[in-house]
Amino acid sequence: MKNIFDTLLLTEIFQGLGITLKHLFKKKVTYKYPFEDTPIFPRFRGVQYIKTHENGATKCVGCYLCQKVCPSECIHIVTDCGPNGERLIRKYELDLSRCIYCGFCEEACPVDAVHMGRNYHTTDSTRDHYVINMKTLSENYKKELADAQAKGEQL
Amino acid sequence: MVTLKIDGIQVEVPKDYTILQAAEKAGVHIPVLCHDSRLNPFGACRVCLIEAVGNPRMMTACTTPVAPDMDILTNTEKLQRIRKTVIELLLVNHPLECPVCDKGGECTLQDLTYEVGLTKVRFDAKPADTPVDHTNPFIERDVDRCVLCGRCVRICDEVVNIQAISFINRGMETMIGTAFDQPWNCEFCGQCISVCPVGSLNNRVYLFKNRPWNLEKTDSVCGLCGCGCYIELETEGSELYRMGELPEKGANHGNLCAKGRFGFEFVNSVKRETSAKVRAAGELADADFDQAVVTVAEKVKSIRAQHGAEAVAVLVSPRLTNEEAFLANKLAKEVIGTGGMYALEPHSSLPEATYADIEKSDAVAVLNIDVTEANPILGLAVRAAARMNEAPLYVFYPSETALKRLAEKQFTGTPDEVYASMTRLVEGQGAEAAVLEVLKKAEKPVAVYNPYNTADLWFVSELKKQVPALKLAAARAKANSQGIVDMGALDAAKLKEGIQNKTIKALLCFGENPAVRTGWADLSLDSLELLAVTDPFMSETAKKASVYIPVATYAEKDGSFTSLEGRVQTVNRALCKGLKTDAEVVAALAARLGGSLPSCSCEVRELIRKEVPLYKEADFDGGVISYPYAVKGEFEKPAKAAAGEGAYFLYPSSLRLHSGSYTRWSPDLAKVYGEPKLEISPADAEALGLGDGDAVSVSAAGITKVFKVHVEKHMTKGCAALPEDYVDTAQIFSKGRYHKVSLGKKG
Repeated sequence: MKNIFDTLLLTEIFQGLGITLKHLFKKKVTYKYPFEDTPIFPRFRGVQYIKTHENGATKCVGCYLCQKVCPSECIHIVTDCGPNGERLIRKYELDLSRCIYCGFCEEACPVDAVHMGRNYHTTDSTRDHYVINMKTLSENYKKELADAQAKGEQL
Repeated sequence: MVTLKIDGIQVEVPKDYTILQAAEKAGVHIPVLCHDSRLNPFGACRVCLIEAVGNPRMMTACTTPVAPDMDILTNTEKLQRIRKTVIELLLVNHPLECPVCDKGGECTLQDLTYEVGLTKVRFDAKPADTPVDHTNPFIERDVDRCVLCGRCVRICDEVVNIQAISFINRGMETMIGTAFDQPWNCEFCGQCISVCPVGSLNNRVYLFKNRPWNLEKTDSVCGLCGCGCYIELETEGSELYRMGELPEKGANHGNLCAKGRFGFEFVNSVKRETSAKVRAAGELADADFDQAVVTVAEKVKSIRAQHGAEAVAVLVSPRLTNEEAFLANKLAKEVIGTGGMYALEPHSSLPEATYADIEKSDAVAVLNIDVTEANPILGLAVRAAARMNEAPLYVFYPSETALKRLAEKQFTGTPDEVYASMTRLVEGQGAEAAVLEVLKKAEKPVAVYNPYNTADLWFVSELKKQVPALKLAAARAKANSQGIVDMGALDAAKLKEGIQNKTIKALLCFGENPAVRTGWADLSLDSLELLAVTDPFMSETAKKASVYIPVATYAEKDGSFTSLEGRVQTVNRALCKGLKTDAEVVAALAARLGGSLPSCSCEVRELIRKEVPLYKEADFDGGVISYPYAVKGEFEKPAKAAAGEGAYFLYPSSLRLHSGSYTRWSPDLAKVYGEPKLEISPADAEALGLGDGDAVSVSAAGITKVFKVHVEKHMTKGCAALPEDYVDTAQIFSKGRYHKVSLGKKG
């Protein structure tokens, strides 16, 4: 009986329109990416960065632990002996198209060098650009540091 | 035998066993740091402490011998606590730079720290900051990381017997170093690196290049000299990073020499050729593999049709595996139809004494060879006999060798004097008669000799007649020097004659480099219509070739080598550089010539078992072949060693970190010894007004060559020595192995 009454008076339609009307005046939750950034959470894992010392030298010592621990095998390191007998990093490459952003590299790093950043803008027209090297990773650090300082946060 | 209990497990062991060895037999793990199976017990680190029921004091498992009815406990709470403290104390002064240290991943201290569950050191760490020593070309030394276990000192003393390093200072100041901080002057064998449990002594050739967990490991045999060392090739992709030791396997007990441990870099060399070359208009031009093979096959066919099959000769190198040499022989005999293949290796002597025979010997004679330089691992066996077995050691060689400190007596002098000494030895006259008596009285006498010097074979065969119990060890030079002879290689004298007479028109040269071999360097190969050469590098002979095919090294092929003790061992492919093996070249050539030969080593091995009687029952995984004789043939008593006119005696010295054509391409070995140097005594250097590095001209039999001088205090006055297997030196030694030469200062 109630169903017939609701059907005749279109009650359910008005209830639905009511919900729409209610949300019309609420705060918007849709973001117009890429024109607008979505908020990210403190534990978000974005593109990696590698910390540098104050003199600009990388903190990475080329120990190969991140390469070993990486489950998607996206890190490739080549080291050698420098002219003064020091450990020299010839190549540090990270393939973002393979990376699953698990953060294991960050966990494994014994010298607090590699970190997961907050940047997630990785779209590009060619796969080649997904392979980033030590220079890009160090530059990422500078950007992350500047962003953090702007927000008054600590990196 | 003694019966005892270890952690409740009853075990029966020989009475001279230590508790550690008994525990190993019982399958009980006792952690150790300063112990190594190759060394005498030391008991320095206290990590292996154990408890014996009824004994209030703890004891070290590695030094305490077993006693009947012992009840040993290895893992009580008290022991765990003490072990933890011992590790903590070791870590007080040990800098924890594990990510940077090259030993990370294979460090015993790191492993023990994990094993005892140590996460925090209770004591204040006071790491020093001593600079890392890079003065040694092969060994990086960081004294701060040293835990003073003494393994390096002990192996340098007990096994290598060079005593280059020792503990210096006392108490807290104790460290590993050299007397008066002199440069680390040694044989560069790197045995100290191989036993260092921490990152104090590191391999500079491998330094920071990779990590142990990235490397794939393949058991194989060293392809550089005739010692036949069992090794581990450590690779990643197509790069060879390290040649490691395997103490538990092989007759070399994990010992390696400088060549084996540090000289492998030529495998990765960018100087290696990658494409075949065919000579066109006088120049070698790149060609593909098939084109090169077709060119060789067509030329062989036309020469065979024109001059007969005997006009085509096949020459093999001792770098070839047994399987490859066997195939080359089949190619020569069955496909081409010549008499067989040739090799520049002696046929009169075969292996007799094994390393074990030498180590257990009670009297050793080393006849006219610097064995520790030429065949370092054979040299270690001689040292073990003299040092550990206290066997009297007699050395006959023109100059003083590294065996000086162990030799009962050295017979040095000019080559003529050494020959006279050896003549008195075999005839039982003079001071040498006493040596003969010692050898005769010994139960297990051994003599090491140089089989490449035909004049020496008379002494050896005469000595064998005098001392029938004498076991002979022929110090063959290269990886498969023995194997290619076993596979039927013929004496190359006939080949030389054929090339000189121009009856041989085509030479298929597999891996051999006659241009740098004594006795062959002066031979002109210009009369040949076809010279086909396979070699990993553009060698001196390859430069003269009509067709050149680059081939794989020992690290890139499967097969087997027969060592100088007659031990057949399997060679395994560890990496691939995309190059053909000699077996593939032979099979491709055979196919083009209308024959059919397999290139797979397993198939060839079966053929070897069927067709080579010596190898019928051969165990290719380390079995020793029983040879029918040690020395055979009629030899003439050499009248005088040296021919020619001149004031100085010239003789071929050991190769000094080299073993022929391969190692000369190693950049690391070249840092120490890159070009042939003339060694003379300080007295002669003074008389000639020469100093180290000065240029000197050497004139012999109408040839004059210029070399750099190396003043060597062990050289005998009036003598000069040059290494073999270099173009210039091979040309001089082709005029006579021992020569009277005149020296003159140049410039």
